[in-house]
Amino acid sequence: MRRSTAAAVGTLTGAALIVGVRLSVSAPAVPTAAPPAVDLAGSGQDADPTKKPSKKPAGSDSGSDSGSGDSGSENSGSSGEAGGTGLADGVYKGSAVKNPYGTIQVSIKVQGGKITAADATYPTTADSATINPPAIAALKQETLQAQSADVNAVSGATFTSESYVKSLQAAIDEANA
Amino acid sequence: MHHAEHVMGTVVSIDLADDLPAATLQSMIGDVCAWLHEVDRRFSTYRDDSEVSRFRRREIDLADCSPDMRHVLEACADLWRETDGYFDAYAAGPLDPSGYVKGWSVEIASARLAQAGSAHHCVNGGGDIRARGLTAEGKPWRVGIRHPWEADKLSWVLAVTDCAVATSGSYERGEHVFNPRSGGPARGLRSVTVVGPDLALADAYATAALAMGEPGIGWLAKLVPDGYESAVVTDDGRAFSSPGLPAAV
Repeated sequence: MRRSTAAAVGTLTGAALIVGVRLSVSAPAVPTAAPPAVDLAGSGQDADPTKKPSKKPAGSDSGSDSGSGDSGSENSGSSGEAGGTGLADGVYKGSAVKNPYGTIQVSIKVQGGKITAADATYPTTADSATINPPAIAALKQETLQAQSADVNAVSGATFTSESYVKSLQAAIDEANA
Repeated sequence: MHHAEHVMGTVVSIDLADDLPAATLQSMIGDVCAWLHEVDRRFSTYRDDSEVSRFRRREIDLADCSPDMRHVLEACADLWRETDGYFDAYAAGPLDPSGYVKGWSVEIASARLAQAGSAHHCVNGGGDIRARGLTAEGKPWRVGIRHPWEADKLSWVLAVTDCAVATSGSYERGEHVFNPRSGGPARGLRSVTVVGPDLALADAYATAALAMGEPGIGWLAKLVPDGYESAVVTDDGRAFSSPGLPAAV
């Protein structure tokens, strides 16, 4: 159970890092739309252990858009703060962060003071193709040809005035003179 | 009208296909030749009195340099960054921007021709080509890429209209391109041709890829989204080309 949780969080963190969302330390810039339930960034996952974590999911120190309740967070009301994250049980959603590919919002579920589930919503529009760009079209190998053909000009390594004389380009120039 | 001018240590072939009076075409050719000789006087490292030689000897400051010199130096700096140091005007020690100047001077020559009213021409500066419009027969310009071993054969034939074709290779002037990582002559590629909108850039990209050796093949692929296609031959005779290379059918 712990290992799969760790794996899930690790994957989520990895995914979040890819799209540039920071889950810890300083609060990211919150866009004016979409008020978050809890600013995970401000809720002290990496916090000072002497600091008392808040019991309620809403009303953290992020300071923006206080109290609008459309976050959908639940509070199962059980054991609460002991150990681990220091968060009361419930589902916590991070700030909705806008980046060039869309809006990403991360959520975690806390039970018994530990993260038991994690999720992320991410853009699914066509723009997300820019996150995974098409593979660079590589040069393809082919057989080296040696042909004689009628051409208007020849491109090659720079010839000197002397080596020009014997060059294909000289033959063309002479024919056109 | 056709003209071949010996200048910059090489030969520049000018092919004008416009339906214009001979006197007009003649004067256009005259203007291009005057431009090319001006470039030679300013940028030839073989002339003691050229601006580049005086700049190298620190007889003049950057601030005293001509606008063209400052443009070339800035372009070489940009390309040094863009090619991760593989295009390096200081590769041989003292400043030598010739790897940029040749392609640039032909690109400018073509621009001057266009401005003077020539919509159809092909200028070949020692193997670096800038084409515009169509031939006198109304067809795209057929440009052959010289075979890297057989001097009288072609390894590819391209059909181009408004386009530049630049080739960098080790088979003419020997080991003149350096690999900055190894500190020695470039190894691995015998011929690199880059095809795209700007001859100055195509020339520099071809030179940089040659300097990189085999990793250059992968690097060239990254230029495709910017409109630069390429054709490469390795030292051991393998040929590669980008999917969009404008091969003649």
